[in-house]
Parts: sequence; C-alpha cells; structure tokens
Amino acid sequence: MIIRVSDLHKSFGDNEVLKGIDCEVEPQEVVCVIGPSGSGKSTFLRCLNMLEEITSGEVVIDGKSLTDKNTNINEVRTEIGMVFQQFNLFPHMSVLENISLAPRKVRSLSQQAVRDRALKLLDKVGLGDKAEAYPAQLSGGQQQRVAIARALAMEPKMMLFDEPTSALDPELVGEVLAVMKQLAEEGMTMVVVTHEMGFASEVADRVLFMDAGAIVEEGTPQQIFKAPTSERTKSFLNKVL
Amino acid sequence: MPAVLWKEDMSRLAQFNWVGVIDYIPALLQGLYYTLLVSVVGLIIGFILGAIFGLGRISRSRIVYSLSTVYIEVLRGTPVLVQAIWIYFALPLIIGFNIPSLTAGIVVIGLNSGAYIAEIVRGAVQSVEKGQMEAGRSLGLSQHLTMRYVIWPQAFKRMIPPLGNQFIISIKDTSLLSVILVPELIFQGRLVASNHFNAVEIYTTVAIFYLVITLTLSKVLNVMEKRLTH
Repeated sequence: MIIRVSDLHKSFGDNEVLKGIDCEVEPQEVVCVIGPSGSGKSTFLRCLNMLEEITSGEVVIDGKSLTDKNTNINEVRTEIGMVFQQFNLFPHMSVLENISLAPRKVRSLSQQAVRDRALKLLDKVGLGDKAEAYPAQLSGGQQQRVAIARALAMEPKMMLFDEPTSALDPELVGEVLAVMKQLAEEGMTMVVVTHEMGFASEVADRVLFMDAGAIVEEGTPQQIFKAPTSERTKSFLNKVL
Repeated sequence: MPAVLWKEDMSRLAQFNWVGVIDYIPALLQGLYYTLLVSVVGLIIGFILGAIFGLGRISRSRIVYSLSTVYIEVLRGTPVLVQAIWIYFALPLIIGFNIPSLTAGIVVIGLNSGAYIAEIVRGAVQSVEKGQMEAGRSLGLSQHLTMRYVIWPQAFKRMIPPLGNQFIISIKDTSLLSVILVPELIFQGRLVASNHFNAVEIYTTVAIFYLVITLTLSKVLNVMEKRLTH
C-alpha cells in the first residue's frame, strides 16, 4: 500500500477532530471521502501531508512514517500533490511560473526541462494558451486546473484533493472534474474529499463516509450509494442525493 | 480690519531679503547632504533590522519572539530625541569612548525606524493568506524557500505604502539630530540664521528643502507601487 493510516488522532486544543482513523490506500486506487461538514474529512486529508500536525497515531506514506523524526517532510511532500479548495495559486507569478517554481527550486531541473514539462501539463489540462496569464485573469475553473498542473509538475506518486470544486461556480465544476477523471484513468493514486456524489460514484474505487471524526462506513461506490448499512450514512445520503 | 492686517502682513513679508538667501544655499546644501546621508544609511539599517525583527515577531521560537518584542517596544516607546541624546551623551559614559555625532545619528535613525518597520513587515507577512504558505509547503518547498519566493514578494508589495510613510517620518526625524550636533539641514540653517539675522528667509527655505525631499519620495514610491501591481 502507498498510504497507511493507523489510529490517527487530531485535536485542536480540547476539540478532538479525528478520533482514531484507520485507512489504507493501494497504488493507483481512487478513494473519495464524503461526509457532512465538520466531520473531519479535510483535517484527515491535511494530516496525510502534515499540513496538520498529527496528535497521535501514525501516517506512513510510501514507506516513510511522517511522525518519525528522521523523515524529511519536504521530501515526502514532493511525492504528494495537493489541490486546495481555494486553488491557492501564487498571484504574483504567471501560470508558467506557478508551475515551474517547485520543479526548479526543489528538483533543480533546468529551465528548459521545466518549461517543456509545464507546457505539456498545461496542454493536458486544456490551458495550453494560458502559460503567460496571471491567476487573476483566469476563471475559477481555469485556476483550479492550473493548480492541478502545478501539483503534477512535481511528478508526485499520489494526489490529494481537498474539496476541489466547492469554491467554483456550478458551470465550472465539470471542467475540473473532467481533468480529475482523466487523471484517475491514467492510474494516479488519488484521495478526494468531495461533495460531488456523481463524481464519487463514477470514478472512485472506494468511498469512505466520515462523521464526527471517524470513518463510519467504507466500501465500493455501489455499496455506499446503493446499499448503505449505517443509519448515519443513509441519513446523510438522503440529504445530499 | 482683517483686510488691513493681511495687507500689513504682506508688506512685511516683502521687506525680507529673499534674494539674499542664494548666498547661503551652499551651506544649506551641505546640511541637505548630511540629512540625506543620515536618512538613506539610517533607513537601510532600519529596513534590515525591521526585516529581521519583523520576522522575529512571527517566529515560533520564544526567545526570538521576546527579543524582537522588547526591541520594538523600547524603541517605539521612547522619543527619538531621548534616544539621540542617550546614545550621544549617555552611552559613551557606559562604554568608555565617544561616538562621533554622525555615527550616533545614523544609529538612532536606524534603530528607531527599524522598530516601526518591523511592525510593518510583520503585518504585511501576516496579511498574506495562509493558503499561500500551505500551497508552497505542499509542493515540497521548505519554509525558507516558500518565504522567499511566495510570501515575501507578496508581502513586500503590501509594505510599500506604510514603508513610504515611515521613510517620510524618519527623514523628518533627522532634524532632531541637530541636538547631537549632526550638521544636517536645520543645524546649518540655525547657524546661518543666527549669524545673519535672516530667520524668516532661512527657516522658510529649510522647510521647503524638507518638503522637496518628502514630495519626491512620495512620487517615487507611487511609481514603484504601480510597477509592482499587475
């Protein structure tokens, strides 16, 4: 497995947000995490690349334990692409510079190699003509696709998506999901926190339902959406479907 | 009545020897040179100190944070005039040797503006959205690299207006250094005025000199801010 989470706990002060998460993700697997807001899905995802410090338990990424003091977290993060709800593009850099920064500074690739890679990725997300644009000149959907390209430029082994379409106007959601779907088909390992049930049922290999800081139920999209066993899952799905 | 007063004032103004000021311009220009020297060197030091202690105020290290806080509070909490007098007249008694007035003046402007600039730096860095640091770190960039390439350029742009404000304040503060015998603009002005009994002409000219410096600076900063905005 490429991600192994065991007995993960996370507290903010006295508030325990994650109450013992166990989870494994296989290479090339697409896992969607669903659940009501405040259930801890985003916090769980952010623990996978240590954007949140882990209170207790263990997260092992590609054989490296994040809580091990000898683990270089920067190195681990180069293997984990992350896409945020608010895109978080660097507003003072062009699209090309956004994508090139980390490969240049962390991977120390030549300018030409990085440029080629960036342009190829922009083509892939359908923005080949936007290399010189600045984020403020792009729509939300375009910005998010640039953010995906930026994460992919590090050639990560897995991708984390934190509600990637929640900040988008409805008509822009489709273009982002299409890119994500293509990525999944190419065999990228993905963990996706999402409210897009259609996407989850179509693309996910496995769906996790989280509530109140725990994984309540997990299974194939078939099992979760057609035949949920937990009452909490049923009541959640009734509200959102 | 007011009209008559106005007329009297105007005629009184006319009796001053404004053309004669030209003779003293070289002396004033020498003062201007020292004013600019102290301002520029002092503010460069102030900017470096401000960047260090401003980032110190965001540091997770308790010691660094406390040191920065003490520096800022002490320097902001005491008048520039007192700082100048203390460094020039009191500090030599403690360390056992004299400090040249120019050096003391530069140190005062540097230390004092540094404290204010530190707060400007802190505010600007903290105003950059948290997601920017997270995005940088998630790509595998270290804290240092993210700071340098992602946070700092954005913060710097936001610093320019308050920084301009501080530069102008510090330039005007250099006039207080006449008390510790820095031969700057108002120091020279007083020398001239007391020898030649032309206070109105000289002090007006001195005021105009300051105004020209600060207005020029405002203009330069405006252009700089526009250039950095896409």
